[in-house]
Amino acid sequence: MSTDDLFDLPFEEDDDPAQPTAANEAETTSSRPAQADALPDIEASGAIGAAAARARAPIERRILTVTELTVRVRDLLETEFLEVWVEGELSNCRVWNTGHLYFTLKDSATQIRAVIFRSALRYLRFKPADGLRVVARGRLSVYEPKGEYQLVCEHLEPQGLGALQLAVDQLKQRLQREGLFDQARKRPLPSLPRKIGVVTSLDGAAIHDIVKVLRRRYANAHVIVRPTRVQGEGAAGDVARGLRAIGRVPGVDVVIVGRGGGSIEDLWAFNEEIVARAIALSPIPVISAVGHESDVTIADLVADLRAPTPSAAAELVVSAKDDFCSRIDRLHDRLRSATRARVQGLSRRVHAIAGRPAFSGFPGRVAMRGRHAAELTHTASRLIGSVLAVRDRRLQQLERQLVTFDVGRRLAAIRTRLVGADGRLRGAMTRRQHRAAAHLSNRVGRLETLSPLSVLARGYAVCWTGDRTRLVRAASDVAVGDPVKVTLAHGELGCEVRAIEKLSAEEQPDS
Amino acid sequence: MTDTSIKDFEAAIAELESIVKKLEEGDLPLEQSLVLYERGVQLSRFCHARLEEAERRIEVLNERNELRAAPASLGDAD
Repeated sequence: MSTDDLFDLPFEEDDDPAQPTAANEAETTSSRPAQADALPDIEASGAIGAAAARARAPIERRILTVTELTVRVRDLLETEFLEVWVEGELSNCRVWNTGHLYFTLKDSATQIRAVIFRSALRYLRFKPADGLRVVARGRLSVYEPKGEYQLVCEHLEPQGLGALQLAVDQLKQRLQREGLFDQARKRPLPSLPRKIGVVTSLDGAAIHDIVKVLRRRYANAHVIVRPTRVQGEGAAGDVARGLRAIGRVPGVDVVIVGRGGGSIEDLWAFNEEIVARAIALSPIPVISAVGHESDVTIADLVADLRAPTPSAAAELVVSAKDDFCSRIDRLHDRLRSATRARVQGLSRRVHAIAGRPAFSGFPGRVAMRGRHAAELTHTASRLIGSVLAVRDRRLQQLERQLVTFDVGRRLAAIRTRLVGADGRLRGAMTRRQHRAAAHLSNRVGRLETLSPLSVLARGYAVCWTGDRTRLVRAASDVAVGDPVKVTLAHGELGCEVRAIEKLSAEEQPDS
Repeated sequence: MTDTSIKDFEAAIAELESIVKKLEEGDLPLEQSLVLYERGVQLSRFCHARLEEAERRIEVLNERNELRAAPASLGDAD
């Protein structure tokens, strides 16, 4: 039997009246002997030439029912095309209620119906869609009720891209549209994680790399490992569950999820949606650490931070801590120097004021003011004295002249001049006194601005030795039991030294 | 300033930063300078203490979500 036999049937002889159709129909898949038996009947009819009849007789007599033909076609196709690889473009993709996917595979000139059953569809790692070029592996089958043949696919593989890559791309696009990769979603790493979570396999190199780095750089790290499978069936579910479990452990502030390098198949779990979702929903920042060189997994894209390797992930955790430490140290230094500068500035001002000649030896404001007043008074009296001395000398001179000249004549004139001189002297004195008073009040005004009192008003106190001869500037200036005086903004205290303590080196601003 | 409790590192360091800034800028009265300084030292000590506080430890969180000591092979890694 061959297809040639079927297609060579002489159609013009179909209406042969002697055709025993009913008999043949009765024995649908009739055996050869039965067909052979029919031959004599055809010859007996004598409707055609004997030679022609003899040549065609075995074929002409093999008249098939539709079913018979269909069955024979099916047998033929299903044995001949038990496994074929076909390349074409997907179109009319449609998943039926049964879960099977029906589609058409076509090229520029022809097309063929195809189906992939649910059981096989499940294992595809990409979603078949119209327009995709694929290589299908399957067998031919005939759908008898419609006389149609179709390709029953066991596997589809996107052409050009690997199936896995395509699946990654498709999921990537979907999650991107959802905004799962948005920078705004990324959380900063904690400066100082109380506990560091790790979700990975206990058997892999990743966990050892992570622990090694943490041990070296962050000696007191507290690590919580959640062991999971990281490749193969069920790995993605494991990893997702592990992330959720770690997220619930109190005190875990950051989690590293990953594994060492491998092929795209090995890294598959980190390209699965369930893992992407678990990372996105993690209550704590997630560092992805899927060791691989070129490709970025979906886990990497969703994670708050991506490290190229597990070791690098650990380094990231540690460097956040290092940054934190140096930040504190810098702040502490600045705190000390700012305070030191402030206190030193105030000290200098107070010492500058206390050290002015006007103040030395005169404790307290009143004394200091008194000293100034006394100085000014002294100056004033010296001036007055000298003016008086001038007058005295002048009087003596006049008296001498008086003796020499006519007393009676000149007396009136002298008296007049004397009175005038007296008046001028008084005027000069008054002016001088006014100037002195103005000078004094000016000095007093300046005194106010420079006065330690304005500093005292801010809480500064001046400490004197008991006899008020010296300022106490260092604890070592006095001994326990010594009396000291403390001048405050308001009033003064008589005190006794009860203990001498040095400021600790750390807090001593003047150190 | 009146709140002497320290929430966490981030809060501590933020407060420390603002204190240092105030001290560096300000012509503050001495008394306030000293109060700020004391608070600053307190914050800085808190941070350092927390840095040293964490415990060197490795634990495993098992399928039943129980914490167990890690296998020796992990703990000994260096």
